[in-house]
Formats: sequence, structure tokens, C-alpha cells
Amino acid sequence: MMAPTVRCDQLSVWYGRHPALKSVSLSVQAGEVLALIGPSGCGKSTLLRAINRLLDEVAHIRIAGNVWVDDEDIYQKGVDVTTLRRRVGMVFQTPNPFPFTIFNNVAYGLRLTGKRTQSELRRVVEASLTKAALWDEVRGKLARPALSLSGGQQQRLCIARALAVEPTVLLMDEPTASLDPLSTARIEDLMGQLKGQYTIMMVTHNLRQAARVADRTAFFAKGELVEVGLTRQIFTAPSDRRTEEYLTGRYES
Amino acid sequence: MRRGWRAHSIALVLALLGMGVFLAIVASLIQEGLPAISWRFLTGWSTSESIGPELLNTLVMVGMTLIVTIPLGLMTAIYQEEYHYNPAKKRVATLSRVRATLLSAPTIVVALVVYRIAVGWWHWPVSVLTGVLTLSVINWPFLATLSAQALRGVPDSYRQASLALGASRLQTTRGVVLPAALGFLVEGWGLAFARLAGESAALIVTAGVNVSRHWSLFGPGETLAVHIWYIRTEGVSLNRGAEAAATGVVLMALIAVVVWAFGRLSRLLGGAQPPSQEVR
Ligand SMILES: Nc1ncnc2c1ncn2[C@@H]1O[C@H](COP(=O)(O)OP(=O)(O)OP(=O)(O)O)[C@@H](O)[C@H]1O
Ligand SMILES: [Mg+2]
Repeated sequence: MMAPTVRCDQLSVWYGRHPALKSVSLSVQAGEVLALIGPSGCGKSTLLRAINRLLDEVAHIRIAGNVWVDDEDIYQKGVDVTTLRRRVGMVFQTPNPFPFTIFNNVAYGLRLTGKRTQSELRRVVEASLTKAALWDEVRGKLARPALSLSGGQQQRLCIARALAVEPTVLLMDEPTASLDPLSTARIEDLMGQLKGQYTIMMVTHNLRQAARVADRTAFFAKGELVEVGLTRQIFTAPSDRRTEEYLTGRYES
Repeated sequence: MRRGWRAHSIALVLALLGMGVFLAIVASLIQEGLPAISWRFLTGWSTSESIGPELLNTLVMVGMTLIVTIPLGLMTAIYQEEYHYNPAKKRVATLSRVRATLLSAPTIVVALVVYRIAVGWWHWPVSVLTGVLTLSVINWPFLATLSAQALRGVPDSYRQASLALGASRLQTTRGVVLPAALGFLVEGWGLAFARLAGESAALIVTAGVNVSRHWSLFGPGETLAVHIWYIRTEGVSLNRGAEAAATGVVLMALIAVVVWAFGRLSRLLGGAQPPSQEVR
């Protein structure tokens, strides 16, 4: 078996004095899709933001434990956060394209580092939009404002923007929460295509979605990792009572 | 329903009434001043029958002030809004307090302080330059507040997306936040121009009420607004009512054109409100 791409060891996070994650240990294999489920406020988003160190931007945050991404201990001194964040892409709950053109949205990440020729940019933009299953819809319209796209298209644009800097890990925080069923289905299809090429950690409140796209599923409650296992096993034979209660809609926090 | 309609119509009538009074005043001003406006009146250099130097002084002083205070105001706002999570909390709070105090201080008081320092201690002359310094101290807190408002209007989700792509705070500010806020900022610069061009009391003290034969940064710098005050109170010409009205018309037209142009530019740049995709 390959080494895990993401590994958390005894990871704890506090917002001020409020604990959000309690000693979470979890491994994610290269190329798999891991779904994170659990009641609201249980720390799923916090876990994702710990992995690209977006938590660093929060005031009064305290983090203990270790996180490895591709064998690098990312909370060690001297780790380059920029390089880390380019290896770990993120997609947010509400589509958040920049108020620029479609082209400039996808090219934004590339332009951050060094010079690129226009033809190089064009090539990567096309490749990223193709991977995000958006190219056919926006071909020839790259100079249009990104905000003129539909919500589902905007979310795929955000995925293309993340893919453009060639990450190995993709963090998706409820990527379809604000989308209609059709757009949701398209994003799920897309995730099926990306599976294997990227290591994907996806937060979702949609249990059927987890069942459809995730290889493994992790259940969180009150900042703790309750259990993690093959999706089928978690859904059919959970070993913890809390997981079962959550899956059957009887969980009370 | 009915009550809402009643309040609505009362408000409408009051608004129309206010506008009518305002228009009537402007119309009478134009009626009195317009005949006195000629090419010679606008560009001639002798003070008694023309306002060339005053027009130049207004443009130069307000222009220089904006050139100095736009970057300063932006930098203050960026420091406060984009880096406020930094441990340097106390410094930010102090800066805010200084800004708020200066913003609420009467401009004449600011001018007296500047006069004391620049003219009293540094021996600067009462001049265009001292006027620019005064206007800058008056305008900095205004633009800093306005710029902070513009930055606050940019959805945080833009910053998150940029940071998550590996951009630094600086790159995020330059590449995403400022472009998204530019429409709002530009409109604000137009307002700042209007506010400065209309300033009189502070400039009477620091830039003076006359103009020199040869224009210089260190020469006295009477502006249009100061000129109006001067001819109304100290003027000897028989024609001074019309002259003041004419100067007023020119000043109003100048402000209207600049505010319109900045508003136009602002709309070209995406409008005063950065598009927020949270509302759909
Ligand atoms: N910036 C913050 N400052 C203070 N507390 C926070 C902050 N962000 C999150 N929290 C708290 O940390 C806990 C975990 O939040 P988190 O956003 O990780 O939950 P979540 O599992 O993603 O919930 P949801 O499903 O509603 O998105 C919550 O109790 C929340 O109130
Ligand atoms: Mg969340």
C-alpha cells in the first residue's frame, strides 16, 4: 500500500479557549475520496483548514499535534506555507470566483509565481477547465466575467482555478451545498473523474452524496473523530452507537 | 399598506420641496453669475476681474493633496483592514483613534495646528505648499475611513480563495481586494475632491487670501472658495455680488464635472459595490 498523502496525528485545535478538534488521528491514502460527515459545528471545516494551514489566518487560534502532507510535517518551523497551499487546493461551500474574467480566474494562481508566457497560460487554463468539465461550456467566452456564469458553472470554475496550480490534494468544504440537483450531479460526476488523480477530502451534509462518491467515510462528533472506515461499512454496519444515531437521524448533540 | 403609502408620499413631497428650494437657489446664483463669466474671467491673471490664479490654485492644491493622501489613506486602511489579525493590535487601535479624532475635528482647528507647526516652527510661508499640507491633514482621515469602508465591502470569500491558492496577504490585497474595491474607492476620491475644493476657512489661515504675480509653491495660494469669501467680505468692486456669484458657479461646475467623471469611471470599474455572490 502507498504511503498516505495526508496524515493527522493527535491534532487538536482551539479557537481561543473553545476546543474545535480534539486529538484527531486520521490518514488519507493517495488518490482516494474521503468523506467527512457529522453534525454542524463538529469541526469538519476546521480539519480541512488545518490541512492547508488556512487556520493560520484566524486570530487566537491554537493548534497542537502534527499534520503530514506528502511526508512533510507542515506545522514544523520553516515550512513554506505558499508551497503547501499550492499542493493542497481548496473549494468552498459557496462558489467564490473573483470578480474577474473567466480566464483571469483560472490564471490567477499561475501568475502568483514567476512569469509565464501568454501561450503557456492559455494552455494551462484550457487544460484546467477541461479537467473541471467546464471547457465545452465556456470555450470562446473566456473574456466574460466569471460572475455571469450560473452557480454550478461558477463552482466548476473554482475547481478549475484550484486545479490550475497542480495540487495533489483537494479539500472540498460542502462543494454542492448551494447548488441545484443537476449541478450537484455534475460536480459528483466530476469528482468521480478526479478520483485517483487527486487525494480528495470532502465535507458533506448529504449522506447519499457521501455514499455515492466516497471510498471511505469519517464520522465526527463534538470535535472528535468517532470512526472512519469504508463507506459501505460505515453506512451499513457502523461500530459506534453515535454514528448509527446520526445516520438514522436520531443523533442529538 | 395605506399608512406606508401616506408616509411615502409625505417623504416624497418633502424631498421634492427640498430639491425645489435647492434648485431655486442654484438658479438665482447662475442667473446672477453667468453673465460675468467669460474666457477672460476664467483665464486672466489680474485678480480684480478674473479668477485664473484662483482656478489654478484650486486645481493644484486639491490635486497635490489627492496625490499625497490617496496612497496614504489606502495604506492606513490596508494596514487596519487586511493585517488587523496581527499581534500589533494596540497600534491598530491607536491609529483608529487618531483617525477618528482628526476626522471629527473642525477643519479650522486642524488648520490652526498646522499653521503653528509649519509656519511657526518650520518658518514655511503662508503659501500653496502650507495649504497642501493642511488639506492633506484634513483629507487623510477622510480617505482612510473611506478606503477602510471600501475594503470592508470586499467579501471575505475572495481573500480566502486567494490565500488558499498560496497568495500572500500582500498579493491578495494587490491582486484581488484592491481591484474588487476600486469602483468604490474611485467614487470616494471624487467626493474627496468636492470636499477639498469647497474648503475655505482652513485655507484662509494657511494659504492666504491673495495671489502673487508669479505663481510659485511658496507664494500665497488663494483658492476659488476663499476668493468667494474674500470678495463678499473685503471686496471693494461695485460688481462684487456678480463676481462672487460667477466664482461660485465656476466652483460648482468644477465640482460637478469632477464628481460626475469619477462616478463614471467608478461605474466603468465595476461600480461602488463590489459584486457579492453571497446574495443570489
Ligand atoms: N473563526 C472562528 N472563531 C471562533 N470559533 C469558531 C470559528 N470557526 C469555527 N468556530 C467554532 O468551532 C467549531 C467547529 O466549527 P467548524 O466550522 O469546523 O464546524 P463544521 O463541522 O464545519 O460545521 P458545519 O457543518 O456547520 O459547517 C464550532 O463550534 C464553531 O462555532
Ligand atoms: Mg463547515
